Amino acid sequence: MTKKHPFPAIETKDLTIRFGGHVAVDHVNLRIDSFFLKSIIGPNGAGKTTLFNLITGQYQPSEGRILLKGKDITKLGVAARTRLGMGRSFQLTNIFPLLTVLENVRVAIQARKGLGLNFWRNYLHFSELEDEAYHILEQVLLEEQWAKAAINLTHGEQRKLEIAILLSLDPEILFLDEPTAGMSQEEVPAILEILQRIKDARDRTMLLVEHKMDLIMSLSDTIAVLQDGRLIADGEPEEIYKSEAVQAAYLGGGVKSE
Amino acid sequence: MAEATPVQIFHMEEKRRQYRSGGFFLKVGLLALFVLVPFLFPSFKTVDLAMQIIMFATLVASFDILLGYTGILSFGHGMFFGIGAYCVAFLVGKYGTPSYANLALGFVIAALVASVLAIVISFLSLRVKAIFFAMITLAIAELAIVLATKLSGFTGGEDGISLNMPGILAVSFSAGNFLGLEITGRILTYYFILLACLGLFLAMLRFTHSPLGRVLQAIRDNVERAEALGYKTFIFQAISITFGCVVAALVGGLYGMWVGYVNPESCLGVLSIMLAILLMCIIGGMGTLYGGIVGAAFFMITETFLPDLQHLAKDFFPSAVFLHNVLERWHLVLGVLFILVVIFFPKGIIGSVREFIDRRK
Repeated sequence: MTKKHPFPAIETKDLTIRFGGHVAVDHVNLRIDSFFLKSIIGPNGAGKTTLFNLITGQYQPSEGRILLKGKDITKLGVAARTRLGMGRSFQLTNIFPLLTVLENVRVAIQARKGLGLNFWRNYLHFSELEDEAYHILEQVLLEEQWAKAAINLTHGEQRKLEIAILLSLDPEILFLDEPTAGMSQEEVPAILEILQRIKDARDRTMLLVEHKMDLIMSLSDTIAVLQDGRLIADGEPEEIYKSEAVQAAYLGGGVKSE
Repeated sequence: MAEATPVQIFHMEEKRRQYRSGGFFLKVGLLALFVLVPFLFPSFKTVDLAMQIIMFATLVASFDILLGYTGILSFGHGMFFGIGAYCVAFLVGKYGTPSYANLALGFVIAALVASVLAIVISFLSLRVKAIFFAMITLAIAELAIVLATKLSGFTGGEDGISLNMPGILAVSFSAGNFLGLEITGRILTYYFILLACLGLFLAMLRFTHSPLGRVLQAIRDNVERAEALGYKTFIFQAISITFGCVVAALVGGLYGMWVGYVNPESCLGVLSIMLAILLMCIIGGMGTLYGGIVGAAFFMITETFLPDLQHLAKDFFPSAVFLHNVLERWHLVLGVLFILVVIFFPKGIIGSVREFIDRRK
């Protein structure tokens, strides 16, 4: 079983980025094991999203290296990393508002299969794309909404649709930037359940950036804590929860009794 | 096989109803009407009107591929229409004798010139924002008129070029009577153009319903998202523009065949052609293709019959002077009609009617 012999999907070596004089990410050595779910947490401005953007290629680091399964990908751009199986979601919802829910996913699957340039067949000729799209919608609990225009979904449903679009690109590594951002309390459990399901399938590596620690306690295999751009703790949820450094830096002491 | 998903059931249902729906009968009826027009209304005016509607419907549909399906406003579409007309005119008028081979070659050259020019324009101007694309294409279209007028040695200048059709398409050809109608070269040309436009329309329908057409709609909806999925959006937009422009050039060639005469004003004019295309597209409904037929029919029919209305008014209401004055200025009536359509059919006639039907369901 993979869990016993974890091997790293992503490793960062002394990853650093400076914006002017400000060191946003400071010599971070992070390791994300294949088929595991790792979360990055930390207070506002700790550099979570910056670290995330470095790994997915939106930013180029000032120092350090990023390895994908042992291969140096530091110099590669976003598109190249996407082709290598890294798929990311954004904090802001990013969907096709006027297309139907099914078409949002279908068009993404079509992109992965490279069928986009076909102009001489009816798109329904490739019905397996629709079947697959429907199947992915089932995974994110959106199948009943398939015929709706995406713009008519609730915010929470749109986030689910985004995850569906991400899944249809079939990435080996899923990068999720605050998947519950801006969601109502009622909508959060459904997203967590979807993430739990993807994790339980154990066929994808996941990296999650989250602001609210309690959400990802049970979900994460390991949690990394950032503060002022530095990695101050990295371990299983239990350890993190007990760690005094984390308590002091992030949880502010009082949260434990919650 | 696994149980059918609701999506599959939906498509099966749709397929089952395909040949029983009102829309299907409407399309078949319309096609039948166009086929029968020369027999039912053999006057030159009605046949010419039907032909103009057919050609402009196809032209507007090709414009709709740019405007409605790709979200690009080009003022150069009329120019491509004119280029097609001129290419055919060169081959069977100014520089060649009327033969089938020259006619076919004219269309091939029209398509080639249009595609090269469309690709060049795409590369030059697609990277800029929408309004600049519109302005650049407008400038190029104006330049084309100037060139066609000034290079009179090459293009015939203001005088234009007369076309002569070969063999059975020639005006003088006659194949005797059929069902009381003399089958002349004109009638055969009518059917040739009808068939060609039908083919072009079907090709455009297939294009918009292809995987590529679906990507175009996705791009129109959210460019960044489409790019993030891995689509090179620029390539898709360039292909769409090129396809639309080639169709426009081919329709232009057909127009030249029908009218038998091309000059800068009638074929390249931004006001005479381009504005008409834009209005027809908006009236009919963007992003529907069929909107082109409705828009062209509305535009052509009102433009043809409104001037007649004043004679009717004089005959039936000889004392209503105000009415006569209004109808004499029939462009005014046309303008009011346009405004009414835009107010009551904000998504164009087809778009708004479809929305209405969907809501009733």
